Amino acid sequence: MEKLQANIWIGREDLENSEKFLEQSSQEFSVLESVADDRNGEVFASNRRDFLKFLGFGLGAATIAAGCDIPIKKALPYVVKPDAIVPGVATYYASSYVDGGDYAAILVKTRDGRPIKIESNDLAPAGWGNTSARVQASVLSLYDTNRLTTPMAKSGSDWVSASWDTIDSNIKKALASASNVRILKSAGISPTADKALGEFTAKYTSSKVVVLDDKSYSGILDANQANFGVRAIPGYAFDKAEVIVSFGADFLGTWVAPAKFAGDYVKMRQIKDIHSPKMSRHIQVENGMTLTGSNADNRILIKPSEQGVAIAHLFNAIVGGGAPASGLNDKAKKALTKVAGDLKAAAGKSIVVSGSNNPAEQQLVNAINNALGNYGSTIDFSNAILTKKGDDAAFASLLSEMKAGGVDVLIVDGANPVYNHVMGKEFAEAMSKVKTKVAIGLSADETSALCDYIATKPHYLESWGDAQPNATTLSLIQPTIAPLFDSRQAELSYLTWAESANIADSDQPYFDYLKANWQSTIFGGQSTFASFDAFWDNALQLGVMTTSPAVSATGFSGDVSAVFGSIGKPASTELEISFYESVSLGNGQYATNPWLQEMPNPVDRTSWGNYLAVPVNFDGVHTMVAMNDLQDGDLVKLTIGGNEFTVPVIQQFGQMPGTVSIALGYGRTEAGQAGTGVGVNVNPVQTKVGAYAQPYSAEVTVSGKVGKEDHFSCVQYHHTMGVKAEEKGTGNIINADEAATVFFNYFTGVKGFQGALTERSIIYTSNIEGLEEAVEELHHKREHAQFLNSKQIYGGYDEKYATGHHWGMHIDLNACIGCGACTVACMSENNVPIVGKKEVSRHHEMTWLRIDRYYYGDIDNPNTVYQPMMCQHCDNAPCENVCPVNATNHSSEGLNQMTYNRCIGTRYCANNCPYKVRRFNWLDYTTADSFPANQYKKFGEEIPFGAENLTRMVLNPDVTVRSKGVIEKCSFCVQRLQEGKLTAKQEGRALRDADVKSACMTACPTGAITFGDMNHKDLLSEKLENPLTYIVLEEINVRSSVNYTMKVTNRDSALDA
Amino acid sequence: MSAPVSQIREPLITGHKTYHQITEDLISPTEKTPSFAWTVGFIISAIFLGLYVFSVLWTIYMGIGTWNLNRTVGWGWDITNFVWWVGIGHAGTLISAILLIFRQKWRTGVNRAAEAMTIFAVICAGQFPLIHMGRLWMGFFIFPYVNTRGPLWPNFNSPLLWDVFAISTYFTVSLLFWYTGLVPDFATVRDRAKGFRKKVYNFLSFGWTGSAKHWQRWESLSLILAGLSTPLVLSVHTIVSFDFATSVIPGWHTTIFPPYFVAGAIFSGFAMVQTLMLVTRTVLNLKDYITIEHIESMNKVILLTGTIVGVAYITELFIAWYSGYIYEQFAFFNRVFGPYWWSYFGMMFCNVISPQLYWKKSWRRNITLTFFLSIVINIGMWFERFVIIATTLARDYLPSSWSYYSPTWVEICLFLGTLGLFFFCYLIFTRVAPVVAVAEIKSILKSAGDQYVGKNAVHQHHHGDEHSEVESH
Repeated sequence: MEKLQANIWIGREDLENSEKFLEQSSQEFSVLESVADDRNGEVFASNRRDFLKFLGFGLGAATIAAGCDIPIKKALPYVVKPDAIVPGVATYYASSYVDGGDYAAILVKTRDGRPIKIESNDLAPAGWGNTSARVQASVLSLYDTNRLTTPMAKSGSDWVSASWDTIDSNIKKALASASNVRILKSAGISPTADKALGEFTAKYTSSKVVVLDDKSYSGILDANQANFGVRAIPGYAFDKAEVIVSFGADFLGTWVAPAKFAGDYVKMRQIKDIHSPKMSRHIQVENGMTLTGSNADNRILIKPSEQGVAIAHLFNAIVGGGAPASGLNDKAKKALTKVAGDLKAAAGKSIVVSGSNNPAEQQLVNAINNALGNYGSTIDFSNAILTKKGDDAAFASLLSEMKAGGVDVLIVDGANPVYNHVMGKEFAEAMSKVKTKVAIGLSADETSALCDYIATKPHYLESWGDAQPNATTLSLIQPTIAPLFDSRQAELSYLTWAESANIADSDQPYFDYLKANWQSTIFGGQSTFASFDAFWDNALQLGVMTTSPAVSATGFSGDVSAVFGSIGKPASTELEISFYESVSLGNGQYATNPWLQEMPNPVDRTSWGNYLAVPVNFDGVHTMVAMNDLQDGDLVKLTIGGNEFTVPVIQQFGQMPGTVSIALGYGRTEAGQAGTGVGVNVNPVQTKVGAYAQPYSAEVTVSGKVGKEDHFSCVQYHHTMGVKAEEKGTGNIINADEAATVFFNYFTGVKGFQGALTERSIIYTSNIEGLEEAVEELHHKREHAQFLNSKQIYGGYDEKYATGHHWGMHIDLNACIGCGACTVACMSENNVPIVGKKEVSRHHEMTWLRIDRYYYGDIDNPNTVYQPMMCQHCDNAPCENVCPVNATNHSSEGLNQMTYNRCIGTRYCANNCPYKVRRFNWLDYTTADSFPANQYKKFGEEIPFGAENLTRMVLNPDVTVRSKGVIEKCSFCVQRLQEGKLTAKQEGRALRDADVKSACMTACPTGAITFGDMNHKDLLSEKLENPLTYIVLEEINVRSSVNYTMKVTNRDSALDA
Repeated sequence: MSAPVSQIREPLITGHKTYHQITEDLISPTEKTPSFAWTVGFIISAIFLGLYVFSVLWTIYMGIGTWNLNRTVGWGWDITNFVWWVGIGHAGTLISAILLIFRQKWRTGVNRAAEAMTIFAVICAGQFPLIHMGRLWMGFFIFPYVNTRGPLWPNFNSPLLWDVFAISTYFTVSLLFWYTGLVPDFATVRDRAKGFRKKVYNFLSFGWTGSAKHWQRWESLSLILAGLSTPLVLSVHTIVSFDFATSVIPGWHTTIFPPYFVAGAIFSGFAMVQTLMLVTRTVLNLKDYITIEHIESMNKVILLTGTIVGVAYITELFIAWYSGYIYEQFAFFNRVFGPYWWSYFGMMFCNVISPQLYWKKSWRRNITLTFFLSIVINIGMWFERFVIIATTLARDYLPSSWSYYSPTWVEICLFLGTLGLFFFCYLIFTRVAPVVAVAEIKSILKSAGDQYVGKNAVHQHHHGDEHSEVESH
């Protein structure tokens, strides 16, 4: 044993004491036999050391090679920093939005020299700072890829870029030899531009200016000319009117100055005291559901051709006199007689308006208002609105002049009659007889396409100018970015062509011209500032100022009975169609803007196209039946006066039976990537009475279903919240919504089911009568919900957010008119991508904020409630606990946060959201992804909307652009909260609610949205004390931070009988 | 493994098999050239698998927007398929684990194939939670790995995370269980094989020699794994059901889901086993091992679980009404009579009505009917998941957001593709491993072979007493 241990041997060689072994064991490092052998024989070129060398070299080489190839993006600091730019800090400039007949006093938010967002200018008097969706979207038009980059001249039938010198000399040559120069322009409200134009017309004395609005207001303007000696639209004080009767005037959506009117209107719609509630009564007389009609308390349904006799009927009842009123339907007759009584009772505190384009009818309306004593109280010419100036008669004579070949030079400035005028086709033909045609525009449109030259003008955000929206308001337009392209302001073009001596030899000659004009005209009219520079700087900083009325109207005069013969006669056809202006696209002037195309029509909730609204009714059993048994998205052949269109339909509650409606503003043929070929153009098929286009037709037929629309881009499929209708057989009034949706009759004969559809705590409504009971019931329901919620096992949410900030929101449904300004503002603020028609039709819209719209009440004549819906920032958020990776979580300030970087896209949170506000990036909508863009491309364009570098300049650098495959949703504009907190901190004070305003809040023209800190006694907490306040789906205990109010209407049931 | 045998039990092995004959019958399919039917099936499966690979790549490259899911319906065919496949994956482990513990001898005829089916079904199921992610390449966020982000952990409150653990555990244990059973059989294959094949099977059988110690350890391991698997059979689908049950969406937020899902899973799993076994026993000529007796036993389980599922459906409706909770009432109304009524009635017919045929013994033993019904039930269970997922989401709280969902070609191809993946794996399995557990069948030959028990038993000297006992009944 001992011996064995002493003789430990390694292998046979050791045991045998072989020589080789002994030799090897004496060396510290043994060389393996095989390797050594191979080395001798040079079979292996390398050994372990060589291997390491190669490895080292390889790694080193690879590292160096990889290291060299990294692209380096350099961020260079300013050598001399411009005063106005602090990187990362936004600069706001006061300016004015003037486009397509709309006006708003605005603030332009710029970041690093790029305008990225429009805000309302709160300093503007009388609601002129209110923004609409159109205003909010206008910043995107600046970066429109469809814009012309140089002046254009036609060579043969092709457009080629030209230099200003070339086109100027050609145009001047043409002007010099012209004996008849005509300027066809959209309504201008700029005093300085008028002066420039004056220089032009002074130089070319044969020239005449014809003004054309995108949608004609000639009827009311001519009537006012006849009755008051002023061709202007008076200021309407909707905030003073107790009774408002509107004959088809969509004054909250499109008529004259909707954002301003809406702000005034809602002031009379607030319930201040639920025990003695008071609010205005608004009666809309129309056939199709307009935005204004949907907000009305009562709608009186008349066919479009009955409008004249309906006005006449009211005229007879109020003013007296035998206006021909026969042919009006009996129900409307009875209702209007009752309304006449209400109006008389509210004499001096009422407003009657009409959207009619028939001067005779407008004269009757004037006479009614005059008889009611409304002039001077609710209607005033001293603050007359100047944004509409079109003259149909002048246009008609221009057209006949052109047809006769009597026009040598035609300058088209902003107007687009080839597209939007009823005589568009004739005008296009007549244009061929004009020798020289010059267009002034941002981009080519249907009319400028037929011209010889386009004098490219800059976007208003690149321009200098001034504006006078009404008699008492004056504002400035200042550029917020240097012109992106080789453009020239229209005013400067006129001055150039007039060879004006007042063109300064400077970088911005029109700026000098504008300044000089203000110095000579406006500076003198004030006494606050001694030096012009101080005055100018102040005016520029404020953006708006008041001025003394420039409009003087006479008292009402004129023999109205003389026009009785001209009021519209009811048609005897079975079906009539009305054409309404689109809330988003106007009469097509905003069609190039994809934000506005994507924003759903507030009423029918469709986008990217115009849908034929067909009446829908309840069959008395369990089905909603629309005209011709049509379903949403069915294609029909629509024949209007011999012109055939194929259009998709949408069932429209509140649409008068025997009528259909379709929007104007679609079917453009020259409107860039976004607008071309979207929908159909019904402008040419309007009825023409004299020179006036009437937006309806009685020569219409609608076929049955001829197909199905490829992409039915409607964002809401269920439209009602408990509409009532008569039951067949029994005559009982039943909940038709439930009977149609929750129908058990298959086996049981039960209709509806315990309120399973309509007793949901989503919308609360009440009429002003019975408001106290309704509020009591609301409180009872809320108490019950809160009782249930107190039974939770896991509590502590209230304590957790009781200290520090706790962000919340209040949305007043009595103030929300559904206009959609907030939707677009949100898209603009938060870089929400545009997805296009096909994606919208697949319910892939990305809007963080949507406006749900429900009809309730009488199915034939329902009321409407709009409910802005966005992330509710629940303190017990169901989305948060289901995310497997914690990508969505709660901040200590009660914000529901979304961490895009962490999101893996399981969509579990979206499924579990009771409010369905979470949006998923289904495809690479932003081209933020490493894979190529894969979005639906409508016209075979290279890349999707919003992916062009030019368009991407609109992106807000404070908000991440989301990539494919992640969820996103409303953040309560967290970037603005952060900014507000920093401001307060810098100023060393506590945060106020006024420091933090979400984009939707600032965009809202009616102040329906209030944002703030729920833990802090301030603006928001004040609103929350409103007894009408409730929380959507309170009983499911998600502890939402967004509050709504009960919708209250002032419906007169006597009008329904 | 011997236990008292009821004398009215039918034999589970027919054809007077000897041990050698069993080996021949069960091992030979792995040794022969594949049959024409196998080859055709394999080619079709491979084509569908190719379709699957293409659809997956397409989805990842283009985005989930290639599917028709929308802002309202965030899960559709994807998670429907996931739950369906997981459900199918329940039968195997149930058969191998729970029936092992209950000493059900009939399990030996089908357990190998059923376990294989489980493995492949869970593989198919696991595809969907992966590819339904918007950013699959970030999917690793779901694992609780040590990191420098805070550290930032997954959300342990999320049922989706529980799924990850539940399914991966289930898959691991099922795979171990299956492989454990395969070891002695691989050794048998090895013993008959030559050359390279022998080496492969030698490796696969872990050097199994068939010593008594090996058998003892093997039986112990089987029992341990059976013990581990038993709760898993119940837990996996319970946790899958939590994806829905813990949400706030009416129609999902239901406490009945766990037992209902488990019953449904076993139901669909057995239906799939039936589909596979009926084909396999014909094609591989295994009718002596997978007998009418086996089929009837499984049909009894189908009848039981189908009825449980039916009771669950009715209970849901009752509770929705009884709760007085309007959202739930509407959700269930909508399930039955809403725009997806056809899927609800399809589900009811396939899952509740159709298995009731099995109350009749002769129908339970009718192979044609069994095959037909097994397909019907699989369709029905797919409908059930579709009803729960898509119908519920399409119309929840806010009517403004209601939507409708139907799949795109990509989603359909993904589903068909996983069928391809499944059969591709299964067909390979039938070529490389004995589809019936040889060792286990042999263990019951003496107690369930038809020469020993039943009316066709032949007299044998050393079993004389036993035999006469059987005869006297």
